[in-house]
This record gives sequence, C-alpha cells and structure tokens, in this order.
Amino acid sequence: MYEVKDVHFSWPGKFPALCGVDMTIRSGEKIAVIGANGTGKSTLLHLLDGLIFPHQGSVTAFGERLLEHSLFDEQAAHRFRRRVGLVFQNADIQLFCPSVREDIAFGPLQFGVAEEEVNRRIREVANVLDIQHLLDRVPHQLSIGEKKRVAIASVLAIDPDVYLFDEPTAGLDPLTVRHIIDFMVNANRQGKTIITATHDLHIIGEIADTVYVFGRNKKIVRGGSAESVLNDRSLLESNNLIHIHRHHHDGKEHVHQHLPLEQHD
Amino acid sequence: MNKLLHKRRDFIERSLLSALAFIKDATLSEECANRKGFLQSLDPRVKTISLLVFLVTAVTLKSTGLIVALYALCLFLAFFSRISLIHFLTRTLLFIPLFSLFIVLPTLFSIVTPGEPVWSFHLLGINGIITRPGLDGALLFVVRIATSVSLVVLLSLTTRHSDLLQVLRIFGVPQLFVLTVSMCYRYLYLFATMVENIFTSVKSRVGVVSHHRYGQKVVAWNIANTWNRTTHISEEVYLAMLSRGYTGEPRRLSAFHATPKEWFWLLCAVIICAGLLYKGDTL
Repeated sequence: MYEVKDVHFSWPGKFPALCGVDMTIRSGEKIAVIGANGTGKSTLLHLLDGLIFPHQGSVTAFGERLLEHSLFDEQAAHRFRRRVGLVFQNADIQLFCPSVREDIAFGPLQFGVAEEEVNRRIREVANVLDIQHLLDRVPHQLSIGEKKRVAIASVLAIDPDVYLFDEPTAGLDPLTVRHIIDFMVNANRQGKTIITATHDLHIIGEIADTVYVFGRNKKIVRGGSAESVLNDRSLLESNNLIHIHRHHHDGKEHVHQHLPLEQHD
Repeated sequence: MNKLLHKRRDFIERSLLSALAFIKDATLSEECANRKGFLQSLDPRVKTISLLVFLVTAVTLKSTGLIVALYALCLFLAFFSRISLIHFLTRTLLFIPLFSLFIVLPTLFSIVTPGEPVWSFHLLGINGIITRPGLDGALLFVVRIATSVSLVVLLSLTTRHSDLLQVLRIFGVPQLFVLTVSMCYRYLYLFATMVENIFTSVKSRVGVVSHHRYGQKVVAWNIANTWNRTTHISEEVYLAMLSRGYTGEPRRLSAFHATPKEWFWLLCAVIICAGLLYKGDTL
C-alpha cells in the first residue's frame, strides 16, 4: 500500500525533520510510529497524506508515486484523498467549520457526494462516535475529548482505506482514550489500515502489530513486532520512551522503569 | 496614590482582557439564538428577508406614529422569541439612539429649523428656541434609528452566526468569501482564549506587572507571539482542508429548508409593511 524509500525532508528554515526513512506498509496493517518529541513522526504522517513531499527519496501510495504536481489535478487529488484520512494532533486545526455538522460534511461534500448521502453519513458517524447531541454545536464550545471525537468523525465520514492518527490520545481522559482505541481496533477489523504516531506506549499493544521507533537522528532505529520492540528496554530507554517511575506500595517508596507490557512486584 | 498608579500600569492589560471578554461573551454568544422562540424557529433566509422588509419600511415611513407601531411589533417579536425585554431594550436603546439624539440636537432649534416655537429658554446669554418642525424631525429621526437598530439586533440575537453568514449566499456573495469569514469567526474565539491564557500565565509567573514599560513589552511580545501562532495555525488549517479534499472551490451543505409556515410569515410581513406604507401615504 505504501512504500517509503530513503525519504529526507526539512521544514523551511528549520532543522531536518526526516533523514533517510524507509518503510513498507501493507493493506490492513496496524502500524505505530513511536519516538520522542521532535523525531519526525508527524512529518511522516503529513508525507503519507500527501500534504508535503520529500526533498529526497520517494513515497509510493497505492502503486503510484506521490508527487506534488500529480495532486494538482482535482480528480487525481480526490482519488488519493478519498483513500487516506489524517486525524490531526490538534483537533482545533481540523474543526474549521462553524458547526460540528458542517465539519463532518466537509470532506464528503468536497468529493461530490450527494447531500442526501452526506446527511446519512453524518447520522451514521454520529451514532458510531456517540456525538449526535453535538451536531449543531459550534466547535469552540466542545471539550478536548469531544473535539477529538468530532475530528475522527470528520475523517470517518470520508470512509478512507487508510487512517493516519497523530497522537490520538494525547491529553484525553481515560474513557475517551478507551473509545478512540476501540474505534481504531474496530476499523482495523473491518480491513482498514491504521497508522498511528504516538509516544503513549500503553496503547501500542492494542493499536499496532508492527512498531517503528524513530530516533534523535530522525531515522527509524528499529522496526518489528509490537512485543519485540516494547520488550527492548535499552532501545526504549535510549530513545526517551521510558522513564523511572516512583510510587508507594504498602507505605514503602518503590522505584522502577515505567514499562507498558510488564507487571512489576 | 499607589492604587491610582497600579490602575494606570495595568490599563492596557485590563483593556485587552475586557475587549476579549466582550468578543467572547457578546459577539460569540449564541445563547439567545439557541432558545426555542418564534424567530429562532424560522428559516434564516425567510427571517432575514422579512426583517429586511420591516427595515426598509421603517426607513421609508415618514410618520413617527407608524414607525412607533413598527417598533412595538419589534418588541412583540422579541417577547415571543424569548428575549428578555430589559436585555433587548438596554442593548438597543441605550447607546445608538442616544448618539443619534446628540446628532439631531442642533436641528431642534430655530437657527437650523425655523417654525412655530414650542419652548424657549435663556442660557449663558444665549436665547434658544425649540421649534415644532425641529422637534418633529428629531423625533422621527430618533424613532427611525431606534426601530432600525432594534430590527437588526433582533436578527443577530435570534440567528446563529454561521446561519447569518450563510444567508449572505442569497445576496450572491461567493461561497469562498462566506467560508473564509465563518472560519475567521470560528478562530476568533480560539485566539481570544489564547491571548487570555498568555496574560494569565504572565500573571502567574510575575504577578502584577510592576512597571508600565515592562507592561508594554509584554503586550508587544504578546502581539508578535499571537501573530506567529495565527500564521502557523492558518497554514495547518489549510493542510487540514487539503487533507479532506479541498481543491479551491469549497462546497457546503445547503442547510436551509423553508416550510409553508415560513412563507406564511413572509406574506404576513409583506402585508403589514404594505399596510403601513399605504397608511403613511394617506396621512
């Protein structure tokens, strides 16, 4: 589905964001891209969504090389964007319409979907994400968790083959995190490809089969099964992904590394 | 003395925060528009056209009595739209008609408008004579302004801002313009909150700004920082639009559906206005 080869990218006026990234993503996979802040995870998602383009190397999506000029053509752009949906880290960025209903409708309407069908999709995604009561609200009146669910709904209404999630659980309460993980798992069961950039190791066991670790050198330092990556303490420690956790057990202070898959005494 | 100095020093901050609070509470509040009242239940297009018909009538009529009747209808509509009359009158009568009264004040006097004297007075060695035509003209002007302002405020109070912007489409305003303005409106709240948070964080770290020069620096830095962040956010919003298929020609839901009730209301509005205009001509 995606072939990323030796991709280099720098944001204008800033340090390099990606320095030679290679990865292959097959249809229906659950992929997690993990790494400390500023290692290029979000930049990779923007590249996979065809919003930015590599300065060196190539990104191939659905058998075609992703090039800036090829997306100038409206039909080609729609063909690609119908199949890929990005949920941005900051939901305020994604909810730019004056009401939740219009935000959900925006994507399908741009693709020329008839209004009757758009209204049906609005009702459907509102049911799936339990946001029926928010449809006529203005986005700035919503809580962070509600905004995130509406942002997901705005992508779900397009019904893409690939979901790109940028830090989907950052700053959310536990119940909302649970809803979002359930949504991602269910979407994958229905054959959707899920690619998630995160540094929340606790959710990786559920949302990813394959994990890529991004290092400070803006490259993938390791890729492999979720279990093998999460059990590699030295790898996680050297990439700022685990920390020393200090808490109390039976009145005694207890210090250990904070690992996602491991029980401790 | 200290209190006075302190007041002077955080003048900019207080002014900015008050302006932001006004934007958030008055401009962006849709509390009235979300109530279940008569005008709120109407299709925004029909409501706008009907209130526009009333507005044109108020501007055209030359009889103060008939304009007062139209104003009474406006209050009647406000009442049935579940708007507190005290809130409505404060918002419509306190400032704009008051200012219009100041504008027409010279026309009350015989120097500007000669005619039958109604009242004369002697103040600071000047003889002032208020004339009947001057008084009538001023009254007509103030009542007309009050009614026009009330109709516009009634429309803005009972209509959600996004719907009000969408109504612009019936006057042929391009979709791109409507979308851009509604996006500006949507992000105004975000930026207002952002600036408020910056001031709160400054306060939490340094307390009350101790010197006005430092206060100016904080405000200048705040403006620059907000500018940078708005530029960054606008770029990201554009990417979010592209990601969902935007190619330069936005398409939006046609949200309005007028029912027979709305057309009946429009007909009533036209009949009322025609009646008032006819009555105004025969007077």
